[in-house]
Amino acid sequence: MKTWRRLAIPYLIWGTGMLLLPMLLIVFYSLIQPGNEVTTFRFTLDNYIRFFTDPDFLLILWRSLTIAIETTAICLLLGYPIAYWISRCSKKTQNLMVLAITLPMWINMLVRTYAWIGILSKGGPLSIVLSWFGIKDAEILYTQAAVLIGMVYNYLPYMILQIHSSLTKMDPSLEEAASDLGASPFQTFWRVTFPLSIPGVISGITLVFLPAISAFFIPKLLGGGGWFLIGNVIENQFITVGEWNFGSAISVIMAMIMMLLMSLVRKADRKASQKEKNA
Amino acid sequence: MENEKKKLIQFRNVQKSFDDQIILKGIDLDIYENEFVTLLGPSGCGKTTLLRILGGFLDQDEGEILVDGKDITKLPPYKRELNTVFQKYALFPNMNVYENIAFGLRLKKVSDDIIEQKVMRMLRLIGLEGYEKREITQLSGGQQQRVAIARALVNEPNVLLLDEPLGALDLKLRKEMQYELKRIQQEVGITFIFVTHDQEEALTMSDKIVVMKEGEIQQVGSPTEIYNEPANAYVASFIGESNIIPGIMVKDELVRFDETDFECIDKGFRTNEPVDVVIRPEDINLVPYNQGKLNGTVESVLFKGMLNEVVVETVPGTHVTVNMHITEESANQVDDGHIHISGNSFYLDVEDMEGIEEKDLIARADAQAWNDETDEQLSIEKVETNLEDKIGTYTITFTTQNNLSITKTIQVVDQQVVRNQKKNEGVSAFDFFKSKDEIEESIALDTDLKTWANAQGWKLDNEDQSVNLTVTYDFDPENIETGIYPITFWTTGREFKVHTTANVKEGVEVGLDFKPEDIHVMEKEGFIS
Repeated sequence: MKTWRRLAIPYLIWGTGMLLLPMLLIVFYSLIQPGNEVTTFRFTLDNYIRFFTDPDFLLILWRSLTIAIETTAICLLLGYPIAYWISRCSKKTQNLMVLAITLPMWINMLVRTYAWIGILSKGGPLSIVLSWFGIKDAEILYTQAAVLIGMVYNYLPYMILQIHSSLTKMDPSLEEAASDLGASPFQTFWRVTFPLSIPGVISGITLVFLPAISAFFIPKLLGGGGWFLIGNVIENQFITVGEWNFGSAISVIMAMIMMLLMSLVRKADRKASQKEKNA
Repeated sequence: MENEKKKLIQFRNVQKSFDDQIILKGIDLDIYENEFVTLLGPSGCGKTTLLRILGGFLDQDEGEILVDGKDITKLPPYKRELNTVFQKYALFPNMNVYENIAFGLRLKKVSDDIIEQKVMRMLRLIGLEGYEKREITQLSGGQQQRVAIARALVNEPNVLLLDEPLGALDLKLRKEMQYELKRIQQEVGITFIFVTHDQEEALTMSDKIVVMKEGEIQQVGSPTEIYNEPANAYVASFIGESNIIPGIMVKDELVRFDETDFECIDKGFRTNEPVDVVIRPEDINLVPYNQGKLNGTVESVLFKGMLNEVVVETVPGTHVTVNMHITEESANQVDDGHIHISGNSFYLDVEDMEGIEEKDLIARADAQAWNDETDEQLSIEKVETNLEDKIGTYTITFTTQNNLSITKTIQVVDQQVVRNQKKNEGVSAFDFFKSKDEIEESIALDTDLKTWANAQGWKLDNEDQSVNLTVTYDFDPENIETGIYPITFWTTGREFKVHTTANVKEGVEVGLDFKPEDIHVMEKEGFIS
């Protein structure tokens, strides 16, 4: 056993160097005064105070949160029925469907998002389709709707795949048993299938929400300059403005918010299943 | 008595196939109220499919199922008033024991206090009081099994379907649950339809056993009927231990097997109809030699706890002994540097001469050529022989492409076939030549010996039907010297299994005795009467 344990040392070093250290550095940066001196520094909470006292930043934070929640909700509402439908197909069709869903991911996300500019722009395919329904000259590109479409498009596969895998892992005789005991297909779904797929839903939500809240190039490309999200602010602080300390502080704040939200989701899930058990 | 009972479930010509494979070939079956019915058969016989069709999880292709006289074919499972205990229990992992059992009642909007009463009564019935708050994962296999039964029974169905529910339990627990299930069935007084492949389980618990094979019902009857009056050899061999002997029904109450006539109590067969005869091992008594109906030699005695299982051979098998000539390696092999060629002299039956080809001669001689440097097999280019279609000794020469050749002899003989009329068998084999190293290198010597000697056994009345041969020899394959060794090929004789408390020794001659009523004559399987 001991000798095997020694084999983990390289990974520990790698993990510390590549994951823990950068994170600690960010926390460290967020807590010191601006400036480029490495040898002399002063701890301060100014960066945090600055963020929470500026209404513009708070607005952007709020906007990012709502758009991430909207994205997650739409992905869940669209993804669950799709995943459910796929899981009812024959094994062969299922493999084909899963392939079809993962296929776009083989192409760079940036390229795919660029493609949406063409689709959403004035005179593009979408506005042509909309004009058939009497909506003329619809402005979609560079609106919140465009950002939402781009996000849902990019993150939907993660939701579908997570839910699909939890649905297919389920023992099919559980649904038969529910039906046998008198549950209609609707009751079977809500009392057995859905509760048992919740782990998949939770990991789907996690995988969609986390990248959605920190997205920066989707709002940049599809929202134009008008739809700044928190990810863009961070990018800006690091790349354009060069205020690493402030950028780091925002990153730490985001990390805290994500951790908080995820723990809330998990707690809600535990409570729900607890309630079921004690009912 | 069964006529007084009400028919609860009627299967009418139920057929089912998957992907062109027929699983059920028209099942007709009546199941009565308050019966413990077992569907018994090996895996793939269609028993589970039949149960799933009844449960509503599969649709039959044809035929109908009546419950209380009403066709339920179109009803989905949740509208059928029967409940199922699944093979792997299928308990809901997101609910505790109480909620699992209450599941069906909650759907029916039964009030909470009634649910509690009923669930608690079920927990008492299955002996799991105090377990209501337990999680499913905290239960053992046997406990999960009980919860699954309770979850189904709490709905007060007319029929409980059980799909191999004891399959996942260990032997001791399975025995316990057999009694438990029977007790529960008697207590609640409803029909249980139980699917299993375990004949012992079926005999222990059932009021009625339905023996199935390849999608067809072979026999329906009580355990004693099935055991004592099996419909055919399949049922007889599937249920309990049995001696099954092919025979001929000479006339009513007289059956002939192994060239002897025996009185029996069966009638209604056609004159000289081929039949199968079954005699159960416990119905045969061992008596002194010449004092029973059959005589034989004790082949083996196996202690089985309460009694001995004695195997008595009444008709010896068929034996043929041939000579194996072992030569030095050099005698069978020629080499030219790295090129080697080997072959053996061999015997041929004059009757087999017709249409014999070069490749047959190469095979019989086991002629091979190879390069020991590259380990490459070389082909035999040329076969020259003065072989003629009559008895005599001939030479044969095999040559490789490198002109390396080896010459061997062929003995054409009139091969004696050993015929055993009593057992309806013929056996033949040839003398053969091998080198020491070929014996030592053989991986499956028994099979190789049969091939080398061209040993064959067949039914005299049907030459296409082969008979298994056993081989015995008396040499050490690891350390064989040159010389001649006898090899015997033989078939198993007619053997009777006898269960007895008497002690006998192997090799002793004994008599076998049984009464006319212990002989049970059955129709040949698949025989259309």
